Amino acid sequence: MMGIPGFILDFFAALMLLVAAVSAGRLVLDLPWRRGVMDVDIDGAHVLMGIAMAGMLVASLSTLPNGVWTVIFAVMTAWFAWCVYRESRGRGTRVLVDSHHAPHLVHSAAMVYMFAALTAPAAGHGSGMAGMGGASGGMPTLAVPVVAFIFALVLAGYAVMDLDRLSGPTPHGSYLAVPASTVPAAAALVGAAAAGGSVSAAVASAGPAGTEGGVSTAAAAGEASPGKPAGDGGGAAGSARRLLLDPRTAAGCRIAMGVTMAFMLIIMI
Amino acid sequence: MSDVTVAGGRAAWPERLGAEGAWHPPDTRRVLQLALAAIWLLDAVLQYQSFMFTKAFGQMLAGTAAGNPGAIASPISWDARLVEHHVVLLNTIFATIQLLLALGIAFRPTVRVALAASIAWSLGVWWFGEGLGMILTPSASPVNGAPGAVIIYALLAVLLWPSDRHAAAAPFTAARAVGASAARVLWLVLWGSLAYFALLPGNRTAQGLSGMVGGMADGQPGWLAALDNHAASLLAHQGLAASIVLAIALAVIAVGVYLPVPAARATVVLAIVVAALIWVFGEAFGAILAGGATDPNSGLLLILLALAYWPVRKPPAVVAPAAAGSAAREAAEGEVTP
Repeated sequence: MMGIPGFILDFFAALMLLVAAVSAGRLVLDLPWRRGVMDVDIDGAHVLMGIAMAGMLVASLSTLPNGVWTVIFAVMTAWFAWCVYRESRGRGTRVLVDSHHAPHLVHSAAMVYMFAALTAPAAGHGSGMAGMGGASGGMPTLAVPVVAFIFALVLAGYAVMDLDRLSGPTPHGSYLAVPASTVPAAAALVGAAAAGGSVSAAVASAGPAGTEGGVSTAAAAGEASPGKPAGDGGGAAGSARRLLLDPRTAAGCRIAMGVTMAFMLIIMI
Repeated sequence: MSDVTVAGGRAAWPERLGAEGAWHPPDTRRVLQLALAAIWLLDAVLQYQSFMFTKAFGQMLAGTAAGNPGAIASPISWDARLVEHHVVLLNTIFATIQLLLALGIAFRPTVRVALAASIAWSLGVWWFGEGLGMILTPSASPVNGAPGAVIIYALLAVLLWPSDRHAAAAPFTAARAVGASAARVLWLVLWGSLAYFALLPGNRTAQGLSGMVGGMADGQPGWLAALDNHAASLLAHQGLAASIVLAIALAVIAVGVYLPVPAARATVVLAIVVAALIWVFGEAFGAILAGGATDPNSGLLLILLALAYWPVRKPPAVVAPAAAGSAAREAAEGEVTP
């Protein structure tokens, strides 16, 4: 019986490698004087998940043994569970919807499940999977498929919520409709905070535009990181840097990862 | 976390800015739109399953022609042959279209285009992929998915259309775009037709429903197969009584939207319960766990639809944009009142 065409698996594998590369770029740009600016844990998780998923999709891209990946993602799951727990204090179950780390907790838990529940003939061979293209002659399957179904539903939910946020409004306007004039305000926000001011003070001084939400702020972060003047890194390099540091890029990575993960879970049921 | 962290980087995502700059939570209609988008996304990944890239997919489509009138069946058979001959190309296109519909609905600037496209796509799939939900055949039953899951996608797209022409007097979310009267008629027709299908001769036979439910156990995980088999044994030789009870429940649901608010709420709850029972026992979660399913079937969609009819205490008022930036917000939402 014919399986999923190789070009589809190749496409998703390439997408995951792109996510890994972009996330690695974001980590590299998290230079010492900006340490803590980025979500190191999240970008790091994206790098590892991207590599692991590409290896699951295409046999020739597999890297580590399944057992090692399982341990890595189990540790990652524990870390994100701790982060969500910290964020949940006083917020109850709402944290599952608007927590910064909840989607990453689901992503890493899904990875643990995928590696642990794999029942393909190639599973456990010690050097990664044979890939879904059927290098061993068949599609890998997952034990307890209802878990895969639930994970796929939740991942789909987070993916569409992320897209909604990416294009959605804040009390002061839309993330997409960010006028250029907001950038200096956001840069002031960054600079004020870097100088030791409180966030609320910085927000107040930046005005409504500065509270636009992430996009303008992060764009500014790329342009005017503490210790570096605004406009540093102009030209193509500066544009690339701004693009990498843009929170929409991170959100895009998360969406791509969620969709790909849901795809993998469903096709292995 | 330091202030620097908040302002410089983690603020990059909305919730990091605290209450003042927090993400604006979506309203009920937007939440339902997102649920619809998530289901389209699930459909898309289901369409990428290996089974769909085999000739069996074309044969599955051809199977929906059986029992339909010639004018309906012939195009289905033609389409099925076409799919069989070009299954890789066409199925890739089908799956990708559904993925784009999901992403389009979730992305606010494209919500209208995506919802409109989803209506067109759903109508096409309803005919060529589901044989009009088999409603013209004697085998139609609410328990096996009639009038077709995909037509409910189209119905939801209409009811969740981002327009507030009737918002001022809308007693429930589904009435905001088309008005309360039209929304109630659509509900009545849908659930009324389900009640009618429940009483078709094939469903009234002694073993009709039992066989239908028991038949879903094949290929399912053990626990779900056991549930189906148990339900089938309960329904054995009770086909007529079960059909009548089901038809009465569906008829009550159908007229429920015309009742006073407390009774309407009760019937919406009943609708959710009946839809959940159909989804679990009659449809086995759309047979997704058995592999080879193209969608989660009608039960899940009926639940989503029922939620859109949950009566609100006070019809939402159309608030004139007052705060700075609200025009941009509405533009981004794609919900500017025409």
